[in-house]
Amino acid sequence: MDFFAERAPWYLAGPAIGLMVVALLWACNRTFGALGGFIDLLAWARTPRIPPRHTVYFFIGLLIGGFVYAIAGGVQPGWAYGTFDQRFGVAPATRMVMLVLAATVMGYGTRMASGCTSGHGICGTSLGSPRSIVSTITFMGTAILAANAVGAIVGIPR
Amino acid sequence: MRAAIPCLIVGAAFGFVLGWAHLTNPDTLYNMLRLRELYVFLIMGSAIATATVGTQLLKARRARTLLGGEIVTWIRYPASRDHVIGSALFGLGWSMTNMCPAPIASMIGQRQWTGLFIAAGVFAGIALRDAHAARMARRTAAPGEAAVPEGAGL
Repeated sequence: MDFFAERAPWYLAGPAIGLMVVALLWACNRTFGALGGFIDLLAWARTPRIPPRHTVYFFIGLLIGGFVYAIAGGVQPGWAYGTFDQRFGVAPATRMVMLVLAATVMGYGTRMASGCTSGHGICGTSLGSPRSIVSTITFMGTAILAANAVGAIVGIPR
Repeated sequence: MRAAIPCLIVGAAFGFVLGWAHLTNPDTLYNMLRLRELYVFLIMGSAIATATVGTQLLKARRARTLLGGEIVTWIRYPASRDHVIGSALFGLGWSMTNMCPAPIASMIGQRQWTGLFIAAGVFAGIALRDAHAARMARRTAAPGEAAVPEGAGL
């Protein structure tokens, strides 16, 4: 199905995500966001006797949605990771080490800030939560600055 | 649990759209961070605009939840130093991985196995933060008082 292989137009994808925030709040008074799933999956792994929180179901949903998209969009399973290896001139093994280290910093930071791009960036800002607005400005600003600084140092053309 | 099914459905819809918008391809995020294209900014902006209007409508109409019939409501939390430092760390990591928590899960669902390594890092980071927060709380709490790290949410 070529329709789904082509990148979704932003004016469909964006409002659709916005409606998901509204739908989840309307359905059951829960806020939208992916980080809680990671946190509570870890908590559930530590104490399996306590049933998983709702965020774990959100996480499982993300896995299912990704799988359904792969079928609809004809995505083949594999180890590809965009142009990352070319950009940094590294082999896939080095890439994995870099990603694990950077993702550890990411996990520490999101846990400390209690949210990520979906939870703070989309849901919390829409609900007018000050900590979400502060977090979003901070991580967007830091990421844009860092990506361009590293790009300039490593010599990746803009 | 009442919230389980809606969370599963909304999570699946989100996982699908993240794939369709190619947000599970690190290059899409990288091109946004390098300011090469507006695509991701437009998605985030239109998502926030839609969600703001929709949730304000729910509030103005004093809507009740479809499951359980409670008043639809949410809490706005004040910002603290932790949100600034934590988000700065997140931004640093994100600028390198070009992948954040929601796309990581969708990516794994798409059988893009590099996502497993990124997820492993995120889990390790969360565990480190929890251990660190518990140690700090123990140092400041009265003896015998339980140290509970702050929960997720907004």
